[in-house]
Amino acid sequence: MLATSGVDKVSRAEVYLWRVVLLGAFLILWEAATRRGWVDPFFVSQPTVLAMQIADWIRTGFIFRHLVVTMQETIIGFLLGTLLGVAVGFLFAHWEKLARIFDPLMVALNAMPRVVLAPLFILWFGLGLLSKVVMVVSLVFFVVFFSTYTGIREVDRDLVNNARILGASPRHMIRHVLLPSALTWIFASLRTSVGFALIGAVVGEYLGSHEGMGYVISYAESMFNATGVLAGLLVLMAAVIAIDIGLQRLDARFSYWKPVPK
Amino acid sequence: MTQRFALPREDREFTAVQDVSFDIGGGEFVSIVGPSGCGKSTLLGLIAGLVPISAGHISLDGQPVDGVNARLGFVFQRDALFPWKTVAQNVGLPLLFRGVDAASARPRVADWIARIGLTGFERYHPHQLSGGMRKRVALAMTMVYEPQIVLMDEPFGALDVQTRNLMENDLLEIWAQSRRTVVFVTHDLEEAIALSDRIVVMTASPGRVKAVYTISLPRPRSVTEIRFHPDFGRLYETIWKDLKDEVRVGYERSRQGLAG
Repeated sequence: MLATSGVDKVSRAEVYLWRVVLLGAFLILWEAATRRGWVDPFFVSQPTVLAMQIADWIRTGFIFRHLVVTMQETIIGFLLGTLLGVAVGFLFAHWEKLARIFDPLMVALNAMPRVVLAPLFILWFGLGLLSKVVMVVSLVFFVVFFSTYTGIREVDRDLVNNARILGASPRHMIRHVLLPSALTWIFASLRTSVGFALIGAVVGEYLGSHEGMGYVISYAESMFNATGVLAGLLVLMAAVIAIDIGLQRLDARFSYWKPVPK
Repeated sequence: MTQRFALPREDREFTAVQDVSFDIGGGEFVSIVGPSGCGKSTLLGLIAGLVPISAGHISLDGQPVDGVNARLGFVFQRDALFPWKTVAQNVGLPLLFRGVDAASARPRVADWIARIGLTGFERYHPHQLSGGMRKRVALAMTMVYEPQIVLMDEPFGALDVQTRNLMENDLLEIWAQSRRTVVFVTHDLEEAIALSDRIVVMTASPGRVKAVYTISLPRPRSVTEIRFHPDFGRLYETIWKDLKDEVRVGYERSRQGLAG
C-alpha cells in the first residue's frame, strides 16, 4: 500500500469509492469488449468466466491443494533463508577478515539471476519440494544477509561503547545491542524477502513440478487456456496481499519503539 | 600520556593529545575545558579504557587502566539509551549485565527512577521522552550501579539553558550525596566553574594541559546563583584569558580542516 501524505485531505471513504469505481469500470469494459467481439476472449479470457473458474476451483478444493504446496515451499525456504542470512551476516560482521575474503563471492553470487539457475536446481534436487526450497533460500538469503550485515555494521558506536562500560559480556552485547539493532534492518527488508520467497517458489514450480500454483499456471498455459493462467495469477495475487497485510501488522508490533514512521 | 591515531588513507598519524598529565583525587569534581577538537573526549575514552593508549599510562587507584573498568561510569554526549528498551529496562540494564538478580535490582531501579523524577514513565521508550528526560535516564543508568568514578562527556551540551541548569543542579545534588569522583568534559567555562573543584584547561590540538585552576567557591552550590558570587567573575576572567587564545587557534585549525 502506498503511503498517503498528510497534505492530501481526501477522505478515506472517497478513496475507497474511487478504487471500487475504477475497478468496476475496468471489469465492465473488459467484459463488454470480449462479449462484443472487440477482443477475442481466447487471449484475454473474460471476468465472468474467470470468476466462475475460481469459484469452481474453490468448490472442488483443487486450488487449495496447490496453494498449500506453494505456501509450504515459500515458508520453509523463507525460514531457512532468513536463518542462514542472519547467521552468516552476524559471522561476517563479527570477523572483518571473513567479510573481506568473501566479499567478491557474495556480490558475484547475488548478481547471478536465480531464475536462470532454477533448471539446474531442478536437475540437482528433483521435481519435488527440495528444489523449490533451495530456489527460495537462494533468493531470501541474500536479502537477509545484506540487511543483517549492514544492521550490525551500522550499529550506533556510542551504544556499543555504553554497553561495554555498563558491563556487557560478548553474549549480552549480541542479545541486547547487536541483535535488536540488526532486527530493525531485517524487518525493513522483510516484505522484500517474503515477496522474493513467493516468486522463487512459483518460478521453481513453473519450470518443473507436478503441483503448486506455478504448476497450475504452467499447465493452463500449455493448454492455451488464458482463463486458467489469469485465474491462477489472481489467486496468487490474493495470497500475496493477505501475506503483506499480515506482515504490516507484524512490523507494527515489532517496531513499537521506533518513532512514528515517516 | 599521549594519544596518536593513524589517519586512514593518509600516510601519517594524528596526535589527539600529547604529554597530558594530571592527578584527580577521590571524590573530586574535575572539569576539563578546551577548544573543540582539543582531544577532551579522547582523554575520557582513554580513562574509560575504551581505546588503548599509544604512550604513557593511566592508573585508577594505583591499577593501570587495561580495558573497561567495572567501577567506572560514563555519561555520553549523545544520550546512548537503548531505543528498544523501556525507561525501567534501560536503568536496570547495567545491573542485568552485572548479574544482579531481578528481585534485588527492582527496588534500586525504582529508587533511581524516582530520584530523577520519572516515576510513572517506567514503561515509556526513549523516543517518547524529551531531551532532558532522556538525559536523566542516562544519568540514572550510570548511577544505579554506583560507579566510583563518573566520566561525563559534555553531557548537557544538547539541552536548552533552563533544562541544563536544572540538570546541573541535580548532578551537584547527586554528587554531594554520594561523593563520587567526577571527570566532566565541557567547552562551557561557566558550567565548569559552577560545578567543579578544579578545572584543567587544555590547549588546541594536539591537546596539552595549559593550566589547572582550583575553584574554591563555597558548596553546596546552585549553578544559577553561584554566578553572582563575587569570585565567580574574577575566576571566569582569569581562566578565559588562558582559554581564548586556544579557542582562536582551534577555530583557525578547524577552518583549515586539520582538527579532529
